[in-house]
Amino acid sequence: MGVNLPGVGAGAGSGGLFGQGSPTFLTTKIDYVVNWARRESLWPMPFGTACCAIEMMAAFASDFDLSRFGMERMSFSPRQADVLICAGRLPYKLAPVLRRIWDQMPQPKWCVSMGACASTGGVFDVYSMVQGIDTIVPVDVYVPGCPPRPEGLIYALMMIQEKIRQESLTEHYELRAEDPARVASPRASDAEVVALSGPFGNSTQQNKLVGGMEVKAAPPSDDLIP
Amino acid sequence: MSQQAKSGLDAIDEGPVPSDAAGPTAAGAPADPAGHPSVAALIARFGTAIIHHEVSAGDQHVVHVDPTRNLEILGWLRDDPAQRYDLLADVTAVDFGGGRPLQVVYQLWSIPHRRGLRVKCLLALDALEVDSVVGLWNSANWLEREVYDLFGVTFRGHPDLRRILMPMDYAEGHPLRKDFPLRGRFSRAEQTRRALAQDLDKFYTPHDIKIGREPQQVTLPAAPAPKGTGAES
Repeated sequence: MGVNLPGVGAGAGSGGLFGQGSPTFLTTKIDYVVNWARRESLWPMPFGTACCAIEMMAAFASDFDLSRFGMERMSFSPRQADVLICAGRLPYKLAPVLRRIWDQMPQPKWCVSMGACASTGGVFDVYSMVQGIDTIVPVDVYVPGCPPRPEGLIYALMMIQEKIRQESLTEHYELRAEDPARVASPRASDAEVVALSGPFGNSTQQNKLVGGMEVKAAPPSDDLIP
Repeated sequence: MSQQAKSGLDAIDEGPVPSDAAGPTAAGAPADPAGHPSVAALIARFGTAIIHHEVSAGDQHVVHVDPTRNLEILGWLRDDPAQRYDLLADVTAVDFGGGRPLQVVYQLWSIPHRRGLRVKCLLALDALEVDSVVGLWNSANWLEREVYDLFGVTFRGHPDLRRILMPMDYAEGHPLRKDFPLRGRFSRAEQTRRALAQDLDKFYTPHDIKIGREPQQVTLPAAPAPKGTGAES
């Protein structure tokens, strides 16, 4: 008598998923397995500075239950974290702290900018506030809202999962290599920082910087019922 | 905005510049000193050093005192048996702009007499200096650092006068002054670069952070025996 797993072992019969006998194996793609392991066990590094952190806590609590996605383990050490969630406004005095936490996180890592203040500075267009954490660290997903609902954060993390799903180990170096000389320095160039942090900067300037200012009408989807 | 666009440290070197905006008057109508026992006693004792007295927000008595004698007056308010303002609730400052003097505000509370009093020192913008009251109330320590940080008022005799809220190497001036531009004096790129160049270990060593004293051994008096146990005699 061995381990009694459904579909495995002597009692499974001929209809089992892995067939009879032991050991069992299956063939797959290494990209698929690696990405599956990565996206289903994302450990968030919570960087909660303001009211967005309350919504983040709600997202982790029982009603919304982020642990469904393998994320119940909040990592309060950046060295064991995969996703940096910056929830709330970031003053300039705290900027080196955020950057150091990002530098301490091992690759592969992702970053969620949660809420209007973290993404753009929000209403705090003042002397003391970073105008969007994307001037400090690279951001993968921005969550709009002031503060966003927990569903917004969950959707952002699902988008990160989707992003991981499309990664391949063949592009590991391009996606993941970091220049040690860039540690503790701003992510954006001076011109980009100025552009991002102008009045109403981030939302329009991000479009401009990625060349997406010409907004074209989306082609009608094939799924639409005419 | 009539002020020319300035960059870098030039604007700081020039010091406070009056803003053009007309604001509320700094002083209200004089009130009757008999309305507050401490005010009457202050005027009787210090005479002309008590410059002005008004009532604000219904029942808050405010006295403007001579800034060169603030230590003497506040010390008397703390120690005189009829006053006993033993709690310094707040030290803050107000800049009304328009070249008017900057006000340093002391909010006092007397626990034994259950009385409050607000004392103000008006400082001309080119002489932002006043004596520190840390020797009278320890609570003034961080509060005066905050006023120094945000308004640039120098407190003579303060044991540790350095910035407390803004970064230690902040070079753009004092943000709560009326002449301070909303977004700061440097470009956002420069601000970001400076922020990330901060070396936190340089300013906050474990020794500095250890602000509290060692835990004290407290001996509680013996509790009286409960009634009905026969232990009482």
